[in-house]
Amino acid sequence: MQVEKCDILCLGGGGAGITAAITAAEQGADVILVSKEPLGYGDTRISMGLMSCPGVVEGDDWQHFYKDLIKGGENLNDPELVHIMAEWAPYGLKLLESYGHLFERNKDGKFSKEVVFLLGGHSLPRTIGCPPGGGISMGNSLRAGAARAGIRVFEEVIACNLLFDDKRVTGAVCFDLCRGEVILFQSGAVVIATGGAGWLYYPHTDCNAGVTGDGYALAYEAGAELIDMEQVQFMPFALTYPASMCGVYVGEPSLAAPAGILRNSKGKIILEGLGTMTRAQVTNAMAVELSNGGGTEYGGLLLDLSPNLSSPEGRRMWKVRKERGQLESVRFAYGEDAYRWEKPWDVAPAAHYFMGGIKVNTSGQSSVPGLYAAGQVLGGIHGANRLGSVSLAELFVFGYLAGEAAARECKGQEFSFSKGNEEAVANITGLRGRKGSFKPIKLHRRLQKTMWENVGIVREERGLRAALREIEEIEEASKDLQITPQLSYNKDKLHTIELKHMLTVARLITESALIRQETRGAHLRLDFREKDEENWRRNIIILKNKNKMQFRTEVVKTDA
Amino acid sequence: MPRNVSIEIFRYDPQKDDSPSWRTYTIPYEEKNTVLGALIYIQENIDPSFAFRYGCRYKRCGLCALEVDGKPRMACHTYLQEGMRIGPLSKLPVIRDLAVDRKSIFHDLKKYSLYIEKKEENVEIIVEPEQGARLRSCAECLSCLSTCSRYNFGNGNFGGPFLFVKLAQLQFDPRNSKNRFEQAHALGIMHCRDCKNKCFCPNGINIYGDAICSLLENNVD
Ligand SMILES: Cc1cc2nc3c(=O)[nH]c(=O)nc-3n(C[C@H](O)[C@H](O)[C@H](O)COP(=O)(O)OP(=O)(O)OC[C@H]3O[C@@H](n4cnc5c(N)ncnc54)[C@H](O)[C@@H]3O)c2cc1C
Ligand code: SF4
Ligand code: SF4
Ligand code: FES
Repeated sequence: MQVEKCDILCLGGGGAGITAAITAAEQGADVILVSKEPLGYGDTRISMGLMSCPGVVEGDDWQHFYKDLIKGGENLNDPELVHIMAEWAPYGLKLLESYGHLFERNKDGKFSKEVVFLLGGHSLPRTIGCPPGGGISMGNSLRAGAARAGIRVFEEVIACNLLFDDKRVTGAVCFDLCRGEVILFQSGAVVIATGGAGWLYYPHTDCNAGVTGDGYALAYEAGAELIDMEQVQFMPFALTYPASMCGVYVGEPSLAAPAGILRNSKGKIILEGLGTMTRAQVTNAMAVELSNGGGTEYGGLLLDLSPNLSSPEGRRMWKVRKERGQLESVRFAYGEDAYRWEKPWDVAPAAHYFMGGIKVNTSGQSSVPGLYAAGQVLGGIHGANRLGSVSLAELFVFGYLAGEAAARECKGQEFSFSKGNEEAVANITGLRGRKGSFKPIKLHRRLQKTMWENVGIVREERGLRAALREIEEIEEASKDLQITPQLSYNKDKLHTIELKHMLTVARLITESALIRQETRGAHLRLDFREKDEENWRRNIIILKNKNKMQFRTEVVKTDA
Repeated sequence: MPRNVSIEIFRYDPQKDDSPSWRTYTIPYEEKNTVLGALIYIQENIDPSFAFRYGCRYKRCGLCALEVDGKPRMACHTYLQEGMRIGPLSKLPVIRDLAVDRKSIFHDLKKYSLYIEKKEENVEIIVEPEQGARLRSCAECLSCLSTCSRYNFGNGNFGGPFLFVKLAQLQFDPRNSKNRFEQAHALGIMHCRDCKNKCFCPNGINIYGDAICSLLENNVD
């Protein structure tokens, strides 16, 4: 078996993972980066590339940004993390540019009020865009930055299990998808930056195919604490057809500004003034209307942007969207009239972002020694709802902090490598062809179906319990898999590894959703319709203890 | 009776097969189905060992690039049609079926220093020419290689359209400190001067106009 050693092992080739890797390498650590997809791929690459940067317009500063984040997050955020987020965001932007990216500037080459715009939930304009293609330039720049920093990179290699001794995390067992072989990585510390888990809701997700929540499961299995896993953000506006494009992103609420309205299938107005609402507000109103039977034959509502065409500001917005290439998916799927905003769009919410995740301190350190987290996989910054354009900023801020802290801890240290969990290795080497009854991809689909139907935009106890039963049945079925034997690039094997992670994450979300008996932010309980400030300004914390899922709640921290 | 669509797909396992084969698959018709929709259907319902890549499903990431009837396309943004022949990007080594070897990109980034060489964190003022901004949205999908008859994988004497796009993008970046014209010339860009069959990008990059011409003419500030 191939064995690789390093000071720091970064898992994930998106914005957070690459930033952590580059930072650690610049501090002199010996770094390896492992990524399930090619380097620079993931949600970062497919994003719109919009990034928050407070302080560009007069009157804005990090304190205003801080307040907006807490308010948007409906008071569930970890204030210490929010503080860092708000204060460091402009540095995050510069860090990404230092890898090669460039954000939009005015004609004099400066960030000024002409280039920042307002997104829902922000009290002031502070979002900066990039050239057409959005996150593409980010992904490319990150990859270039990794090349410059001379990091050892393993592309299309999947982390399956973490290794640990009785004291700390000591590496990971990984599977090389292209060669079909196991690689054992031994390291002083591991940074998990595997992104979110939107794929648990396929096809109702705008996320990249690789975001199956692997990092949450890896951390959980290693004994780390996770926080508020029930908080899953759904992007209100995604395509509903054709089937192969269901879930594809078409816009966040600000897309509708200034005059767009949302109607049900009978033409009744459901929402106006969308432009300044948060994602959670819009999605929740849509969810209620859809569960009351107001949806179209495609399961969507009708977003009518035509009122914008009668004002100069509205027509300008159309041009801006067009120039950024943000109308291309609609044009392809719904045709020219829809592209010109003359025909309403059939839209439904799609899983977009996980506010919950691995619980960390301000250095990105988890509750398990030697284990760090960065990017979407960490939890607590955004509370119950994330504001637009803050995620990309978080990647570079927390990627940097985790990379730096891990390097400080591990650089040049000697670590005694435990022979490593034989069981963890055996689990993967066992990944040969099998002649069982269930195809891995079919079990993905079953799990995704129950997550969307029962743990999706609206939840209630009955559905959540049904989901838990289905998860259990799929777990049983996953012991009897049918796996094709091909060695190189075998999707069956990829799906098998992912399925195990996905089942763990599905359970984490569903159990947390059962526990939170209130409606807050992205979590909407039909059987507990109100926000319960008295009892539920609490975080839900999960960890694995003696092979069992253990829960506790904690009153949300107040800022020191 | 439900309608069906039949397509031919390239299948090849270099570890087992002597040569590639084209196999016919018949799948249920669906309105506005895409090529990617068909590939997913086949892996899910007909042959789970079928290998292909994708990521975003909306023509962004560049991972689903393949050839339809010999022309490069993004599978997620191409409507499925009866009789299509779907193969891998033909200039790249096949790992299996439609999955080609893409690791050369990272290798080339290092080999040709395709990055801003000096790290600067405090660029306050910077004006990027429009062409440069346009070239930034190259999805690195490698489709263009299929449209250049001169390009051959592994031949270090001729860079090919993808590398020329990268070099031009860097040359337009005001922070660039390396001579990208020289690099382009060492990689044979002069052959492009009288090339009759101009390379093509399915993602809308003007490879010849924005990248190759600027590198040939040395007219970048
Ligand atoms: C359509 C869309 C548009 C968006 N637009 C914006 C925007 O404009 N502004 C904004 O702020 N946010 C936006 N977001 C959110 C933002 O893009 C993501 O939250 C962010 O990019 C996540 O970055 P990350 O580095 O944490 O994860 P990702 O970029 O998703 O990277 C995760 C990486 O981990 C790898 N990986 C996964 N599992 C494993 C494993 N087991 N082993 C090894 N590697 C693994 C993946 O291959 C991938 O390379 C958008 C999201 C989407 C889906
Ligand atoms: S120039 Fe176009 S075809 Fe070539 S790699 Fe870039 S996006 Fe793909
Ligand atoms: S101009 Fe011609 S020779 Fe040059 S890269 Fe394009 S197709 Fe190839
Ligand atoms: S899947 Fe991303 S471009 Fe087609």
